[in-house]
Amino acid sequence: MKTISRRDFLYYSGALLSTAMFADVCRPFAGDGRFISGLDDIRGKVFKNDAPKTLWKWSHEGFLYDKLDDGKVVCGICPHRCILAPGDRSVCRSKVNINGKLYSLAYGNPCAVNNDPVEKKPLFHFRPRSMVFSLATTGCNFRCLNCQNWEISQAKPHEVRNHELFPAEAVETAQRLGSESIAYTYSEAVTFFEYMIDIARLAKEKGLHNLWISNGYINQKPLLELCKVLDGANINLKSYSDDIYRKLNGGRLQPVLNTLKTLHEQKIHLEVTTLVVPGYIDDEEMIKQMCGWILDNIGPDYPLHFLRFFPKYKLDGLPPTPVSTLTRFRELAIKEGIRYVYVGNVPNHEGNNTYCHNCSKLLIEREGYFLPTYNLTGNKCKFCGTKIPGVWDNSASRRD
Amino acid sequence: MKKNERVTLLVVIAAGISSIVVQLITIREFLAQFHGNEFVISLILFNWLILGGIGTLVAHLITPRYWEPSSSRLCQLSFILAALSVIQIYSIRELRDFFFVHGSSVGFYPTLAYIFLTIAPYCLLIGFILPYSLFVLRAKTPDYSGTRIYITDNIGDITGGALFSFALVFLVTPLKAIFIANLPLVAASFLLFSFTGKQRKYLKIIPGAAITLLLLAAGIFFEPFSLAPSEGKLVHYSESRYGRIAVHQDNGQHTLFTDGVPVFSTQNQSIAEETIHYPLAQLDNPQRVLLISGEGGIMKELKKHGLKTVDYVELDPEITAVQFKFGLIENIEGLNVINQDGRAFLADSDKIYDAIILNLPEPDTFQVNRFFTDQFFSLVKKRLAPDGVLSFSMEGYDNYLAEPQRQKLSSLYNTVKNHFKHVLLMPGLKIFFLCRDISIKTDIPARLAEKGIIARYIRGYYYGNLTKKRISDLNNLMDPNTPKNSDDSPLLMRLMFSQWFAKFSSSPVGFIAALAGLTIIYLFRIKREEFVLFSTGAMTMGSEILIIFAFQIFYGYIYFQIGLIITVFLAGLLPGALLGDRLREGGKQILVLTDGLLITLMGILILALKMGGDRLPSFFFLVFGFMVSLACGFQFPVALHLGGGGNSAVTRSFSADLIGAACGTLITSLVFLPYFGIIWATAGLIFLKLASLIVIGTPKLSNFLRRYVLRS
Repeated sequence: MKTISRRDFLYYSGALLSTAMFADVCRPFAGDGRFISGLDDIRGKVFKNDAPKTLWKWSHEGFLYDKLDDGKVVCGICPHRCILAPGDRSVCRSKVNINGKLYSLAYGNPCAVNNDPVEKKPLFHFRPRSMVFSLATTGCNFRCLNCQNWEISQAKPHEVRNHELFPAEAVETAQRLGSESIAYTYSEAVTFFEYMIDIARLAKEKGLHNLWISNGYINQKPLLELCKVLDGANINLKSYSDDIYRKLNGGRLQPVLNTLKTLHEQKIHLEVTTLVVPGYIDDEEMIKQMCGWILDNIGPDYPLHFLRFFPKYKLDGLPPTPVSTLTRFRELAIKEGIRYVYVGNVPNHEGNNTYCHNCSKLLIEREGYFLPTYNLTGNKCKFCGTKIPGVWDNSASRRD
Repeated sequence: MKKNERVTLLVVIAAGISSIVVQLITIREFLAQFHGNEFVISLILFNWLILGGIGTLVAHLITPRYWEPSSSRLCQLSFILAALSVIQIYSIRELRDFFFVHGSSVGFYPTLAYIFLTIAPYCLLIGFILPYSLFVLRAKTPDYSGTRIYITDNIGDITGGALFSFALVFLVTPLKAIFIANLPLVAASFLLFSFTGKQRKYLKIIPGAAITLLLLAAGIFFEPFSLAPSEGKLVHYSESRYGRIAVHQDNGQHTLFTDGVPVFSTQNQSIAEETIHYPLAQLDNPQRVLLISGEGGIMKELKKHGLKTVDYVELDPEITAVQFKFGLIENIEGLNVINQDGRAFLADSDKIYDAIILNLPEPDTFQVNRFFTDQFFSLVKKRLAPDGVLSFSMEGYDNYLAEPQRQKLSSLYNTVKNHFKHVLLMPGLKIFFLCRDISIKTDIPARLAEKGIIARYIRGYYYGNLTKKRISDLNNLMDPNTPKNSDDSPLLMRLMFSQWFAKFSSSPVGFIAALAGLTIIYLFRIKREEFVLFSTGAMTMGSEILIIFAFQIFYGYIYFQIGLIITVFLAGLLPGALLGDRLREGGKQILVLTDGLLITLMGILILALKMGGDRLPSFFFLVFGFMVSLACGFQFPVALHLGGGGNSAVTRSFSADLIGAACGTLITSLVFLPYFGIIWATAGLIFLKLASLIVIGTPKLSNFLRRYVLRS
């Protein structure tokens, strides 16, 4: 057998070792759910050894978690149920295991704070024309390819500029700005559950309403706790297909459906939003099935919003949703029996307005965030006296 | 020359034609499928060269020891090569949705991996065929010249480049071009087989040729199906000289795609209103407006202002034709459509405008970057009335301005602030920059109401979306210390590059480090002459990338010109190689002289760019490319001669050239250009050539360095 020289051995060993540096390049081909299997499932993964060494001032012990062997913990907030060894970070990027305890790093450090019209959430049947103090920290338990807020939802708390607003200050600021409600929104409020629930409890005490704008990917126990102080929610039902949930959003369908049912059972005002993504969520049959599930499980009274998709974030190779598709879906959902169906992200569309489900008369005309026509008396249709589902009041000229 | 030899050389020429046409179509295909920019071009060229180099090495390793070279095998390989070219284009189109989520953009590493995967079979084989042809010839004539094969291959490459750039690009679709470019290969292989002298040979060759031709023809037949969109239907498709244009119709909505990106859509009221009314609301009585590129519905909004003239500049006449045909742009009174590069139009025109509105995509290519530079804004200022307004937009954000984007906006803010007293950023899903010398009004709905203009989206949404707090928050976030963006140092490009990596949570550092490690190991394994070829290959491809980028910067388009540039960079190789073959006895001195010539050429390029690249005729860049390739072609036979000229020397020399070219492509486009700008990128290539000069000119020093480094 031919022998090799020491020099050759060193060369070949060096060459072999250096190929290890290509691991990053080859990663797409590996079975980590990014390249080939990434087609079917883009769910996030725990970030191993990614936690900071020490806590910071915006840390708070986790609301719900269990301790396991070897210092591991399992987070109980969302269906991912991240199992974190000491030093690990959760899928949502907000929770870490430090020395066998689960901490949230998103407490009192919102990175987005605004005073928005309630219609922007969108919540069309909850105290129209009121202003909502809205806040978010970083983090999301999903990986939506079309995320509108990916700059914060797909970031870790220390990667962004943040305000300092602990619960008492948040409530105080909302009151100072004249907001009637506080919305936990923009990124994914489930990931800053500890911060949200502490603000919500204080806000409730001070007479403010709490609004939860979410993907609904939460476990039953924390949700029930939240419902004690919650006044309204908009849940983004991203599709009625578990495959699409895994492929476009990195989540599962069933937990979201469970959330809708729980909110209904707890009598929380609820509105449902579905973004109609061309090629994925524009199948009439799927929309029919979705409406069927809504009618069977939570009834016809909760408003349903079909939103127009625009190319965004990683899903930027698709055209915007044709307006006629949204119009057709609205008609279809009404025909199926849902009473209040809206079209969003299309200015001046008939589907922006509210029509009485009994007499079909125009109740609320919406021109963006302006409501030039308002035909409700209390919670009833001015024309036929039918009770309109939602949370209404009479101060209809508040914002305008 | 014997008949057999002549036909073998014909196969080499035909393979050269096929390879260049397939390479150019592959680049265009990736540009269309991956929202391609110059980085994607670099990744394709890099993979192409590396795979070609590997194919060459494989040929050296397995032939003739394990695989006897023969004409009949060469024929079979050529048929396979022709068939692979169709398969490659279909793979690029069809496998994208198999490997990636339909409609999604793709990050750096998956793009790199996908390019590697889809072009590997063809590139490995094309790299294999060239030395294999030489081995076939040497089986009969043992001292057959390697240089001759190199020269023959160059003839094929140049013919392919010229065929594509001057004919195919204008006349036929990609798959038809593939068919035409591979016919000579099938014919030459058929001819070669007929000389093999084997019995019953036609029983073997006819089915092989027939299957290959059938595959090539099937490519044309199925082409329309491969372009059909998943959503709606394809109502228009064309390959203009600037890019691929497609219009999809879905439920009454028409969307115009250029290079796979949805750019205009009917039914986009919000963007149309913001684009037009934010700037025009600033003016009391606007009369003359210049619009650089458009958006669905904007003419309707412009009409509301009762303008005298609207000059609408759109580079590609096919795009404007399609816009009018499908109602994406309406014809309004006073509208002049000008099919010219927007920047060139402003430089040539002496008109003065009340408003100049840019409606361009993000500056992630050099073509677009040049509309956001110091030089461009200076030009705009000269064409604006004293109270005129400039408006343009960048991608916006919902609720949080991320750091790479903040840097991008800050750079842009600082660049344009240099020319206007007042610059205001309006937040939203698009961030609008309003720039003028008198103060800017922010209450747009009130201004429109004063003027009696109805804009229903702005009236309904403006106060909810653009609160005073949101406007001031955004403007306060601008960092005055961020450097400005310029033509020759495109900071915005680098920031877009960073933003791209941030979006996919990745970094190119691992890849570059791995590549650097492997290159260093390789460099210590090669001979001095091979290092000269390596550095020349790197410099030639680096220069080619520089010229591609310079074309983008100064002329603003590349899709059509890329064929021309690649062709001139091939054209010099042939006369260079012929000349080098004659003068090869000059040995090292000749290599030193040509290294000196290359350094001088690069020095001239720096001077020319410094003196004003935008004033240089495109001819200058093409002559420069020709000269560089001439020197490169010249060095090959000389270095080969110094290496001994045997089979091993041939494959090692080919490999050094290809690997050097691959490294030059990548380092120039991923490191030199984005991080140091075009001038320093050129200087970097000079430095590389100086190293080669030292290696070849001072053998003692290089031996010492080699020993020292190895020992340490």
